Amino acid sequence: MSIVAEGQPKERLPAWSRFRGWTTNPWGRPRFLVVVTWAYVLWSIVPVLIAIQFSFNATRSRTAWQGFSTRWYWGDPVDSVWHDPTLRHALVQSLKLASADVLIATPIGVLLAIGLARWQGRGSRASNFLMLFPLVTPEIVMGVSLLLVFTQVFTFVHTGTVAQILGHVTFSISYVVVIVRGRLFSIGKQYEEAAADLGASPSAALVRVLFPLLMPAIVAGAAVVFAVSIDDFVISQWLSSGGGTDTVPIQIYSATRAAPLPSTNAIASVMLVVTLGAIALAFFVWRAFTRGERRTGAKPTESLGVFEI
Amino acid sequence: MAHPKERPGALTRRTFLLRTAGAASALSAGGFLASCSSSTTPEETTGAKGEPVGPGGLPLARPDRRVTLPLWEDPIESGLEPETGGTFTVFNYPAYFYKKLLKDFGKKYDVEVQYTGFDNIASGIQRLASGGVKPDVMEMTPDNLDLAVAGKLIKPINLDYVPNLKKNVWPELVSPFYDVGSHYTVPYTCYATGIAWRNDKVTEDIAGMPQPWDIFWESSAYRGKVALLSEQRETIAMALLRKGQLDVNTEDPKLIDRAVADLKELYDVCNIKVDDVQYQSIPEGTSWLHQAWSGDMIAAYIYYLPKGTPASVLSYWKAEKGKVPVQNDCFSICSTTKKPVLAHLFLNFLLDNGVAYSNFVDFNGYQPPLDEIDPSELLSKGIVPRHLQNSVLTNDDFGPDSLQEMTLTARGQRLWEDGYSDFVAGGGS
Amino acid sequence: MYRRWLWPGFAFPGVLWLVVLFVVPFYAVLAVALGTVDPILSRPVPIWNPLEWNVGWVVEVLHRLAPGGTFSGVAVRTVEYVAISLALCLLVGYPVAYYIARHAGRTRNALLILLILPFWISYLMRMLAWVNLLSPDGYVNRFLVFTHALGQPRDWLGGHPSTVILALVYGYIPYLILPLYAALDRIDRSHLEAARDLGASPFSAFVHVTLPLSKVGILGGAVLITLPMFGDYYTPNMVSSAPQTSMIGNQIDLYFHGGPQPTIGAAITVLLAAFLTVLMAYYMWTIHRASRELQAA
Repeated sequence: MSIVAEGQPKERLPAWSRFRGWTTNPWGRPRFLVVVTWAYVLWSIVPVLIAIQFSFNATRSRTAWQGFSTRWYWGDPVDSVWHDPTLRHALVQSLKLASADVLIATPIGVLLAIGLARWQGRGSRASNFLMLFPLVTPEIVMGVSLLLVFTQVFTFVHTGTVAQILGHVTFSISYVVVIVRGRLFSIGKQYEEAAADLGASPSAALVRVLFPLLMPAIVAGAAVVFAVSIDDFVISQWLSSGGGTDTVPIQIYSATRAAPLPSTNAIASVMLVVTLGAIALAFFVWRAFTRGERRTGAKPTESLGVFEI
Repeated sequence: MAHPKERPGALTRRTFLLRTAGAASALSAGGFLASCSSSTTPEETTGAKGEPVGPGGLPLARPDRRVTLPLWEDPIESGLEPETGGTFTVFNYPAYFYKKLLKDFGKKYDVEVQYTGFDNIASGIQRLASGGVKPDVMEMTPDNLDLAVAGKLIKPINLDYVPNLKKNVWPELVSPFYDVGSHYTVPYTCYATGIAWRNDKVTEDIAGMPQPWDIFWESSAYRGKVALLSEQRETIAMALLRKGQLDVNTEDPKLIDRAVADLKELYDVCNIKVDDVQYQSIPEGTSWLHQAWSGDMIAAYIYYLPKGTPASVLSYWKAEKGKVPVQNDCFSICSTTKKPVLAHLFLNFLLDNGVAYSNFVDFNGYQPPLDEIDPSELLSKGIVPRHLQNSVLTNDDFGPDSLQEMTLTARGQRLWEDGYSDFVAGGGS
Repeated sequence: MYRRWLWPGFAFPGVLWLVVLFVVPFYAVLAVALGTVDPILSRPVPIWNPLEWNVGWVVEVLHRLAPGGTFSGVAVRTVEYVAISLALCLLVGYPVAYYIARHAGRTRNALLILLILPFWISYLMRMLAWVNLLSPDGYVNRFLVFTHALGQPRDWLGGHPSTVILALVYGYIPYLILPLYAALDRIDRSHLEAARDLGASPFSAFVHVTLPLSKVGILGGAVLITLPMFGDYYTPNMVSSAPQTSMIGNQIDLYFHGGPQPTIGAAITVLLAAFLTVLMAYYMWTIHRASRELQAA
């Protein structure tokens, strides 16, 4: 871009300089990066959109579009998600595990987050370290260890639904802690201290001041746990005891290895909608609860500090 | 016809079909290796006559070496009334027994029949041993029989309660070599291992080749569409049979190493794959040439053939007797049962011609070894198309000169498992 | 105003849970890997007392991992796949994170949502989507043949390393981009302005200011994706299922299917965890050094 002062004859820079200026202007938008970014976004999302599209295919092909139909969702009396007992059962099992996971991991995680954030004594660093470990442990290592512990040590819990729930909660707690902790840091101690100054007892300060302030993070944490649990594959597979405890990801895995039908796409899409619904719900709850704070201009991306390990 | 999607469960069990391990070491009953702080190999023991033994000192059965299993307790008395009321638990691979038939049994004897699934027979036995489940009857495979008996996990059978055994079952399997006198088992299903292919894609006349197994080593034209079963015993056994080595229970490291080396050639020949979904991938065309069990093409024909694909594209070959690995699954009574008489009657129930036929045709796809269910009947009823006739087994496929993958000593099992692991590791440096 | 024991008390249930169901299982893997096998049932017999540990199995696995052993090929291949996938993820992910963090302006929120979206899409669904696209008659082949980039359809799913790497990159890149974005977002614009004011070219400013400041973010993201990637076994199974593209996770999977040597599976797991701990330690040490530098600055 040439810088033009009013009234002066325009000097035309050589084409190459103009192009370089156009692409490398540090105060403008680099075109190359724009292209790469949008190309990435398309590459990232479009395959999934196509998969969803084919779940509505009228024939059993996953590659040749032959018309719109809902047969794979409920129409087909044999293979649709609604009618196929294996798929239906997997759906139910996934929802069961995810719900149990949320109900158990969220309270434990919230308490752990608060405890870790404020615990000054010895052992708090070790506990913090311990909490972070599941986030970076490869799932197969966790799967192996949980399988062995449930077949060698705690043999009263053999593989099955209970084992799967216990395994899910174990890796979910850390997600809740990380999310709630971020919120805790941005709240600080000021509100509870103000409450104490106004005469509140410690438990009142906790229950009537801190928890409501934490609510958006708790809901976000619950939604994340729900989503992570629904999409979990490795732990569910290692702790599964056969057909009855298979979840949707396990079904998708088996079907993809054999010969997937559009009903596989369909059940994956159903799971996607459920997950997005939970996340959207949490998002709106978060926004509703933090309406007041937004007016004071807190940066929305602060919460992404959760990714700093 | 039952819902075909319940099949994958049944055939997933094949993944873990126990020709692999779960059977035990060659240690005599009292020995342990705890004292050695750096050992991985078990102590080798041989029986009184110098032959290798399995768990608990039980001799290893082979088709030409019949074994009578000792009774660790007396079977129940004859003439007792069946127990009723409460629950009756069947422990099996998932979706391997038609639920409707279980309900019928439950109604007849006024019990609630529960069906508990195990991932594979080895983990099932371990769950049983650890007390995680307390079933009444359980599916069993001949190569796990030794350890189940040595571990006292299954009870001896009083055959007075199971007249269908002698009445309906193939003579060869009434008092089989692995359980002479049928003290602990009754047969449930049978199958063989061979080759399945799409004859519209693979043009060779595989059945007409001097050594049909060679097709895998000559399949460069079908690169990426060729697969073997993801089974330790089946893959190595196939390589052994191809070279004319008929002992599929060999423990000779040199033979196993050579078989594994042969299998590794397949990486470059056809980018070999390893999976157990042939019953679906062959009819769908995502695989063109696959090592397969005999029931797979029947299942493919009945359940998995997409509309528009003619059944004539499916082909199956298995070798003649003495060169083809055959196998049969069984059922046993668990020691944890509180309804032993009813358990006996269940064994009789599953050997009933009508029940077994319904289980096979309406649900399972696995052939029961009963006299009344023979190839001509299946052909005439359209269960099996004519060109897949050889997928059906007969009594003649079993006998002292048949091949059956059976229990190995602990050393043997490790050799096979390590060989398979070497093959599946994909080569490299 | 709160009692001192309140916070440890809050933390107690969580810590107890993690100890019982995370630490103890880890120890169980160790005890099995350094244990023996039950003679009759081939069940693993864990040895809990460190003084009695049987190192035979771990030594055996180490032998196999050494060059010439049966595991050396698959171990090297796993490291290769992870390294190449990480490099590709960074190559694609860094520009994207950079653009969104620094330049996106009004479209930033929309882009952020699109960035976060893959997190909520099941990994397996994303792989399923690619398996469909890469089928012989899938859109990828059709597009490539249509644009004459390919003469005839390629068999993407026939057991090729390139397909596995593509799948790994696609699967794990969202987990890299988001932390990278968060780190880049934190970098103060004024540093860059200062560099430009001092005469640095845009490229030089990037190399000397932005890149070093984002090192922590790069490392964090790299750790977040390579550690799980090392244990991946389902991605090769879904897009390839050929032994030639298997990863070390497939071997672990194999030995835990009721075979006579679950101890080998446990030993591989222990060695894999040890290897990853070394990587983690390197990461922590770098973070520690970087934060010390930042504090000194």
